[in-house]
Amino acid sequence: MIRRALPSVIALAAFFALWEGACLAFGIREFLLPRPSVILASVIGAWPLMLSHTLATLTTVLLGFAASIIVSLPLAMAIASSTTIAAAIYPLLVVTQSIPKVALAPILIIALGANEAPRIIVTFLVAFFPLVVAAVAGLLAAPPELIELGRACRAGRMQELLRIRLPFAVPFVFGGLKVAAALSVVGAVVAEFVGADAGLGYLIQTSMAFFRTPLAFGAVVILALLGILLFQAVSLAERLLFPWSSGAERPALAA
Amino acid sequence: MIAIEGVGKRFAGRDGGAVQALEDVSIAIRPGEFVAIVGASGCGKSTLLRLIAGLAMPTSGAVRIEGTAVTGARTDTAMVFQAPTLLPWADVLRNVTFPMRLMHRAGPGTEDAARALLARAGLAGFETRLPRELSGGMQQRVAICRALLQQPRILLMDEPFGALDALTREEMSLELLRLWTETPMAVVFVTHSISEAVLLADRVVVMSPRPGRVVDVVEIDLPRPRDFAQEASPAFQAAAQRIRAHIFRRPAAKLAA
Ligand SMILES: Nc1ncnc2c1ncn2[C@@H]1O[C@H](COP(=O)(O)OP(=O)(O)OP(=O)(O)O)[C@@H](O)[C@H]1O
Ligand SMILES: [Mg+2]
Repeated sequence: MIRRALPSVIALAAFFALWEGACLAFGIREFLLPRPSVILASVIGAWPLMLSHTLATLTTVLLGFAASIIVSLPLAMAIASSTTIAAAIYPLLVVTQSIPKVALAPILIIALGANEAPRIIVTFLVAFFPLVVAAVAGLLAAPPELIELGRACRAGRMQELLRIRLPFAVPFVFGGLKVAAALSVVGAVVAEFVGADAGLGYLIQTSMAFFRTPLAFGAVVILALLGILLFQAVSLAERLLFPWSSGAERPALAA
Repeated sequence: MIAIEGVGKRFAGRDGGAVQALEDVSIAIRPGEFVAIVGASGCGKSTLLRLIAGLAMPTSGAVRIEGTAVTGARTDTAMVFQAPTLLPWADVLRNVTFPMRLMHRAGPGTEDAARALLARAGLAGFETRLPRELSGGMQQRVAICRALLQQPRILLMDEPFGALDALTREEMSLELLRLWTETPMAVVFVTHSISEAVLLADRVVVMSPRPGRVVDVVEIDLPRPRDFAQEASPAFQAAAQRIRAHIFRRPAAKLAA
């Protein structure tokens, strides 16, 4: 584990060192491109502020992500179980995907008021589509032999869906969940740019307005960390709940 | 027990053309009988099994089990497919009990029965392994246990040993025979191997290439219990020769025509 992480740690350290060195060597002004050490210092200096904005964004991300899971899975099951439903829903889905979410955000804020709801909806809209697509692909990927086994055991359509297709789709669903996790961070920031009084997106905007570039960069770094953390949380959940799903060899169960 | 009466099966092709997989097939299988079906690849053997299993409907004729026409999967038939078709997410034990659980037939004794079957198949200690941790032969043995656990009165086997090496194959066919003598079930056993068919079966049904027809039914008069030593006997050789002659004559005749 450590050995595998080592190259990326070294690469990351080298990247930051180069950045730091370049800023010093060329005398780049702080409000244009702050040095990593300055960014770190400003984040630490303003940590109560940072923490409250991070929590605000995290709330939006998690609620939007949860909404996308709750909506996507039943939707995918409906689409996979009937070609008529698929034909009815798929065009609608594609339409929701073609609308730029940045354009939708102000409309939602006017309609729903300046509260958490429009931000969650924007996050949801950004995150749910790849999840639906992945889940549908997984539900339809069950090999015909397994479906035939189900029919030989007199399984009805519902049993086939729940006992064969759904478990088979788990690795696909987790693939979609990882994409959705990363996208829900994007969605939350987009929503905060348009209308919010808290959150890292809001912090980036207000900081830049006052040329407090280090703080904005700090917020960006925290956003990246949030995305990575969420992605890793999904991977961990997959490994713990569905050990057969993550193609890798199972962690030494003998121990 | 199983009456296959003038059965034909036609598949509509994508381009409007049709494939006649089976034509006018009639076979009567007695309770507890071991019937092998041999024929060239693509002659409709799997199709015939799927018709008996109720997984497909004939386009002409009918399949009856104890007088009732087969219209869907039945609880007294079990199928071993050409590939193991195990659930990748379930361990060996849950794979074996899957049909019973799906059909709401699992009781308190089901799990013990499954363990006992697995032990007989040489899989004791593998109950909690996942299918991908097993060899191909072990996976196929799990699939056979899964079918046997249902205590079927008709066991349908579609080239169950096709993917196995010769050694495992011989060992497993003898084990299958032992199991079959202990339980009152009819076996319909599809195979490519003539010697396997003769060794196992009471009767061997020989099918012609497409469209699949019954060209001969060979009674095997070898004493039971069977073993590989009998392969050298004149009766074995005669039966195998007769089957071989049918299988290799047809295409030659077609070429000449
Ligand atoms: N679902 C289907 N749709 C169309 N054609 C089919 C279908 N199933 C089988 N066939 C055709 O029916 C014929 C018989 O197929 P089947 O699988 O029964 O052969 P088989 O004797 O089992 O062959 P093998 O020994 O290679 O397994 C083949 O020509 C095949 O193309
Ligand atoms: Mg076949």
